Amino acid sequence: MFCEQCGKRPASVIVKQTVNGNTIERNLCPVCAAESHNLNYAYEQDPMAIHQLLSNWFPNQKTSINPVKKEVAVCSNCGFTFSKFMEIGKFGCATCYDAFEDHLDNIFKRLHNGNYRHEGKIPSAYGGTLKIKKEIEELRKQMQVSIAGEDFEEAAKLRDEVRALTLQLEGGGADGN
Amino acid sequence: MEIDRFLQPKASSWMETDSENADIAMSTRIRLARNLSDFKFPYSFSEDEALKVDKAISSVLIDQGRKLNLEFTHIDMQELLPLQREVLIEKHLISPYLVKESHSGAVLLSENEELSIMVNEEDHLRIQSLRAGFHLKETYQVANDLDNLLEQHLSYAFHEKYGYLTSCPTNTGTGMRASVMLHLPALTMSQQIARIIPAISRLGMAVRGIYGEGSEALGNVYQISNQMTLGKSEYEILQDLESMTDQIIQQERRAREAILNNSPVALEDRVYRSLGTLANARLLSTEEAATCLSNVRLGIDLKLIKDIDMSILNELMIFMQPAFLQQYSGSPLQPTERDIARAKLFRERLNKDSVTNKGEDFA
Repeated sequence: MFCEQCGKRPASVIVKQTVNGNTIERNLCPVCAAESHNLNYAYEQDPMAIHQLLSNWFPNQKTSINPVKKEVAVCSNCGFTFSKFMEIGKFGCATCYDAFEDHLDNIFKRLHNGNYRHEGKIPSAYGGTLKIKKEIEELRKQMQVSIAGEDFEEAAKLRDEVRALTLQLEGGGADGN
Repeated sequence: MEIDRFLQPKASSWMETDSENADIAMSTRIRLARNLSDFKFPYSFSEDEALKVDKAISSVLIDQGRKLNLEFTHIDMQELLPLQREVLIEKHLISPYLVKESHSGAVLLSENEELSIMVNEEDHLRIQSLRAGFHLKETYQVANDLDNLLEQHLSYAFHEKYGYLTSCPTNTGTGMRASVMLHLPALTMSQQIARIIPAISRLGMAVRGIYGEGSEALGNVYQISNQMTLGKSEYEILQDLESMTDQIIQQERRAREAILNNSPVALEDRVYRSLGTLANARLLSTEEAATCLSNVRLGIDLKLIKDIDMSILNELMIFMQPAFLQQYSGSPLQPTERDIARAKLFRERLNKDSVTNKGEDFA
């Protein structure tokens, strides 16, 4: 389609103009669209759902499941199959993560810029000492940032927190659950 | 009914705004997704499980919230009228997804509406913390404090390698989505935003219009958020988002200055035409109102308009939405009737102040 205004360049922008409550839509090229005043630029873009992304990235998943063994991963807890997960793009329960684990690293890498490991918060119920160690690591990182940004007051505060946590760790970590 | 106060045409405290950069960064939101280890996720659980999850989470929240001096009101989605649900969506207190589900769902709201906890949305638990202005770390702290309290009484689904387990693989890990709502009229006018959006998405963040996913940026309001939840700690994610947002704010300021220097009259003309439209129109569509609001907001930021309080604009941004208009007028409205009601709302709010003097000058 060509631009409605100049008729020369291809139209790539939809321009919506509301006058006295009536909305007019015009297909323009970027040059003509830029020249128009008081206009609202709206680019046409399809929202892409996660399941579309998954199936576009792994188009052959269904067929690549070992044809000899005919094994399809099924979650024993909720009954979701791996193809169901790929189709709707959602897990049915926590056990799905174990059932589909063989495929997950690759999927997570695609979704999270090459990452597949959790580096964040750990609930205290999952090991007091592991949690404290991770926390200390995290606080040290923050301390480096503060020092780099010459925020020494904040750095000193963080140092004290690290010290307190280290003591807690040496004291047996009993408080940390 | 207790929930009535959440439906009042009154600004939530997160809509008020005074802090640094609040002219461009309008609000900050942190969302933490959590699931309970003993129940299947909402995509596969039964209605019976949904009820049990709601009961378990709500009782802990209401009991334990008091420790943080928080009083929560439990609102069952199935007890609400469709219009009431829409109002909560328009106030950003619940997601459209929560009301779409057929199983039991609820929201627990704190009195100041800065904390909203959705139960049985896509995950069992969605802790949402909202604040006016640009305060990523403080907003996270509020959500995190509540999360720390809840984890002592609820058993979360957590995996050593993958972290917090969520329904959607895009949330697995920290389960955290941090976002900042940005008003970017100058970057939009100069079309620089079209170059910025793809650049940001390459860095594990996303920019989109505020009115839902994939929609155009109504009123030049965008939302920037992290997309990665694995491989980085919460702190690193917030740090990255903060510096990216800072850069966008600076770009927007530069673009505003450039427009102000290069075409001051054209800009002033646009700002005052928009003010004229809002203060005088008899029919006002959402799109036109949003566009004009954006221009007037810009005019206030650039001190071209001095006699209108920004908080009025913040309120109008929320109240001009369809469900609010109908709640406000007390009856269902057809689209044209809405445009009439919207125009009336703007005239009333804007002419209450000194704007009326302007009209008399021309008389």
